[in-house]
Amino acid sequence: MTGFAATESVPVSFAERVRPFTPLLLLVLLSTGVNIAEPGFASLETASVVIADASVLFLLAAGLTFVIMLGGIDLSVQAAASFASMVVAELLPRVGYAAFPITILAGLVMGLASGFVHVKLRIPSFVATLATAGIMTGLSLLMEGGRTVSLTDEGREQVAWISGAWLSGVPNVIVIAIVVAIGGMLAQRYTRFGRYSAAIGAGEPAARAAGISVDPHKIIAFGLSGVFAALAGVVLAARLSSGSPDLANQLLLPAIAAVVVGGTAITGGVGSIGRTMVGALIVSIVRIGMTYIGVNIFAQQIVFGAALIFAVFVTIDRSKLPVIK
Amino acid sequence: MAPAFQSTPSAADPAPDDSRSKRGRAFLQGSVGGGRLADFGPLIVLIGLSLLLGLLNPSFFSFRNLVWGLANSAAIPLILAMGSTFIILMGSIDLSIEGVLCVGAMIVALLCANDSNDHDFGWWGPLLAIAAGTGLGLLNGLVHVVLRIPSFMATLGLWFVGLGIGTVALGGSAVRVLDPGIRAIAFQRVLAFPLTVWIAAAMFLLALFLERRTRFGRYIYAIGGGEDIAALSGVPVKRTRILAFTLAGFFTGVAAVLAAAQLGQANTTIADGRLFMTVTAVVVGGTALTGGWGGVANSLVGVLIVAVLANGMVLLGISPYIHETVQGLMIIAAVALSIRRSGSFTIK
Amino acid sequence: MLKVENVSKSFGPVKALRNASIAVGAHEVVGLIGENGAGKSTLMRVLSGGMRPDTGTITIDGSPVVLRDTSQANRYGIAMVFQEQSLLLNMSVADNLHLANEQPFTRFGVISRRRMIEAARERLAKVGLDIDPSQKAGELSFAARQMVELAKALSLEERTNTPLTILLDEPTSVLETKDIKILFDRIRSLKSRASFVFVSHRLDEVLSISDRIYVMKDAEVVAERTAGATSVASLHAMMVGRDLDAEYYREARQESPGDEVVLEARSLAVGGAYRNVNFTLRRGEVLGVAGVIESGREELTRTLFGFLPQTSGVMLIEGREANLRTPTQAVAAGVGYIPRERRTEGLVMDISVAANITLARLDATMRHGFIDHRRERAIAVEWIQRLRIKTPSANQVCRNLSGGNQQKIVIARWLTANSRILILDHPTRGLDVGAKEEVYDMIRNLSAEGVAIVLTSDTLEETIGLCHTILVMRDGEITARFDAPPHAKPAQVALLEHMV
Repeated sequence: MTGFAATESVPVSFAERVRPFTPLLLLVLLSTGVNIAEPGFASLETASVVIADASVLFLLAAGLTFVIMLGGIDLSVQAAASFASMVVAELLPRVGYAAFPITILAGLVMGLASGFVHVKLRIPSFVATLATAGIMTGLSLLMEGGRTVSLTDEGREQVAWISGAWLSGVPNVIVIAIVVAIGGMLAQRYTRFGRYSAAIGAGEPAARAAGISVDPHKIIAFGLSGVFAALAGVVLAARLSSGSPDLANQLLLPAIAAVVVGGTAITGGVGSIGRTMVGALIVSIVRIGMTYIGVNIFAQQIVFGAALIFAVFVTIDRSKLPVIK
Repeated sequence: MAPAFQSTPSAADPAPDDSRSKRGRAFLQGSVGGGRLADFGPLIVLIGLSLLLGLLNPSFFSFRNLVWGLANSAAIPLILAMGSTFIILMGSIDLSIEGVLCVGAMIVALLCANDSNDHDFGWWGPLLAIAAGTGLGLLNGLVHVVLRIPSFMATLGLWFVGLGIGTVALGGSAVRVLDPGIRAIAFQRVLAFPLTVWIAAAMFLLALFLERRTRFGRYIYAIGGGEDIAALSGVPVKRTRILAFTLAGFFTGVAAVLAAAQLGQANTTIADGRLFMTVTAVVVGGTALTGGWGGVANSLVGVLIVAVLANGMVLLGISPYIHETVQGLMIIAAVALSIRRSGSFTIK
Repeated sequence: MLKVENVSKSFGPVKALRNASIAVGAHEVVGLIGENGAGKSTLMRVLSGGMRPDTGTITIDGSPVVLRDTSQANRYGIAMVFQEQSLLLNMSVADNLHLANEQPFTRFGVISRRRMIEAARERLAKVGLDIDPSQKAGELSFAARQMVELAKALSLEERTNTPLTILLDEPTSVLETKDIKILFDRIRSLKSRASFVFVSHRLDEVLSISDRIYVMKDAEVVAERTAGATSVASLHAMMVGRDLDAEYYREARQESPGDEVVLEARSLAVGGAYRNVNFTLRRGEVLGVAGVIESGREELTRTLFGFLPQTSGVMLIEGREANLRTPTQAVAAGVGYIPRERRTEGLVMDISVAANITLARLDATMRHGFIDHRRERAIAVEWIQRLRIKTPSANQVCRNLSGGNQQKIVIARWLTANSRILILDHPTRGLDVGAKEEVYDMIRNLSAEGVAIVLTSDTLEETIGLCHTILVMRDGEITARFDAPPHAKPAQVALLEHMV
């Protein structure tokens, strides 16, 4: 403990200054790297594919960012997205466009439920969300006896605003992702929720002692995670013209990887939606780049698993973990 | 220097008890003795559930159902739960079960007589599968302990690494196990029970032995009860942690062999839902996620509860698709009932 | 003979031990007393191998030893019974007694539970404890746990051939009177087996159990007395030592508080902690709460900030009834809290100075419901100048600032939040002399501006020096109330009478 007379401030090292920009650097290096290996990669077409892919991933990861920034984890995002794809596919023929807000609302409710279970019942978030993931998967399976629901022709038209492309061929998904990204960044920078989340993640006891009501904000973070996951599910359903109980199952790892590779620490506090955007792009470039180069699509999971461990190893703040369990 | 209420990690947490808590706590924990009844909670639930099902559908208690519907379907979850119990007793978690199991099943299928290649290494397949499981468990432990990464993240990474390896090697399709010896594990009956059940029973006894009669078991409880105190007392914390994850890998390897034998093939979805079921079983059995309380006997009861419930739903004609939902609710209920809310630590 | 000679230890600028020397002879009970922060615990940690001293030597029977860690200290026959008890409550007494030392009961890797329990029973008999060793430690009473720890420490004699020294750190603080008597009887009868170092803040206990007593003050060993040749009163005088220094505590700047009552407690109580607490706090008043551990004063301060809601009684803030169930409500009612744990509770270390300053009242920065960063910055810059906070910029992360500047940021936060009542929870703990003086200045400034302050402190002299009024608590009740106007401060002994 230092006293008043101690040094004024510790100078910030060069490495500390550069660190936040490593993911961005990695993104640039990766894109050039893949491009050198496969010169065709840098076309406008592939860029569009990469960004569209990253967009869906980003939607899933964006909600997760709020939770991870608080030092928690949400292992139910893929289940929530699949659940949402089923709900929207089921509802479209019945209620038309009202299916979209209802699905998002369902995501919100499930997310809030996860948050409630975690915060109020004091269950560690990875188990609480593992449980709610199971609940949602069960409900998705129950809806059509485990089968996939295809959209009708009418349904396809109703989702055209998602699956279609904008003026010059920019897929609408990208526009949606950009809107979400800007909204998320503004929320983090300019709202009470954003500020309190940062404070709670960086130091929960201190935030509590400053008079912040911690519990509601945590629950809201999980609610947001549910909303974004539902949005991702709707987008996936629109792009694939169907809903399925395991539609997004393969996306949990890439989503967590996107958050962590982007530089958000799983110990909380440090992180932002902007970083997750970079992270999602990195993950998508690696995904599509590997396919382009000819790496088995299943082998990608090996790479992501290893990359996740490495990214966590680099970003984690061990001073926050008295005992590493 | 005798901080009156700072002895708990943080004064900001609204701990209902504080400095007096020392005595208060002593009193509370004295009542844990009375809470011995609570220790039998899961067992009571199991018995009650079984009786209820027996009433609703008498065929529940038929010998055939008890052997094939219950014991046989509980065998693999039990083995998986044995490994996870040690991990959860330390307050950690192993999310890599599905990945490791997938690798193990892949090795069994590809090395024995199968419909995908010309190998026929017989029992080398299962042996190597168990070895690979153990190795991946060791890797889990090393990543967690040496790189100092929380276990849920370390094992989350290896979950997908394992799934990836398994899927790549299988080429995304199913490989059938043709070796009659290996298939016999699932169907050969010894004293009315399939071999699988006997193997599971042996694994349970092994785990029980490790827990109760070895230093390793003692150290697991010591770490779960208070890692800092354990370290101060000279418990080799790192070594024990690595060993526990290695052991969990071993159990998962054994389970992989049985899964391949039971299913008659290895495919990419062979491990689906296993993690969820395992965690449910361990937690429902009464082992605390915070570590230190519970044990393999609890997990046996937990596995049986989950199995009885699943079996009962089949017997009662309830859609199997709701199983996961029910399991999810069970986890929440079990953890919510068992967590000690007096603790003033931050839950993340 | 265990000897510590000229041991020093510093933490940054803070001296925790300065040339401390003590000796422990065979079959002797040595008492060690001192106020909080005097250096007792640091000395114990050095002895138990938990901490390496910067300079100085430790010798056993004349040969120097280095105590690298606990197990090494154990090898030299030194064992510590921790104040924070160190039994694993989920394990049996026998398991605890033999933890990490199961080798003698293991054959071919198999532990014999029966032999372990037998051995445990023998060990428990040595401390006169007749319990079932297969019982879980968590099921035992606090006194019994203490005995088990003592038995664990004593078991060292089976593993080492040097004479034992057992360190008892505040062993009585959690015990009832009758259990203390039992503990003392055991210690006396065990003197034939081991020597003891007994640390406590209860002077009468130290006097009754010890053969010799060392007195620590301000990181130094200031006196050594034979128990027969001293008294509680003279021990206390040595322990407190310093005469009140009017200038040190800025007494000249102590102005009389306003008449307006900002906080009033009527029959306030928290079950099991304190009861029937009545007081008023006026504008600009500094109210000290004195009392030993378990007197209820810590709980009282927690109640005032909503951490520990009262179970009965009424609290009035500026005449309105305030029922504070959470810190959030306390902040809204105009109460601020300056915690002793600055690093974990005072500031969110990894967000900026500006964000910390506005954290308790984000509204001040908002325009149309959104944070206006320019406005936030202006607020921060104003406080940085007014309180002379030394930081490169308002956007600097707090972790990199010095402790004193961090403390100023906490105060700036509460001033931003318009707090009219501040709860100061040991605000100078861990600060060196210069930093303490700055805190004293700040308390005077706040008081002059009309902020009402409730202060708890580690030392009586600080409480007396700074406060207008002092409440003394004992066993959960207020036993005395002193006015402490400048140049007519009450004597420490006078307060002490009502504390113990």
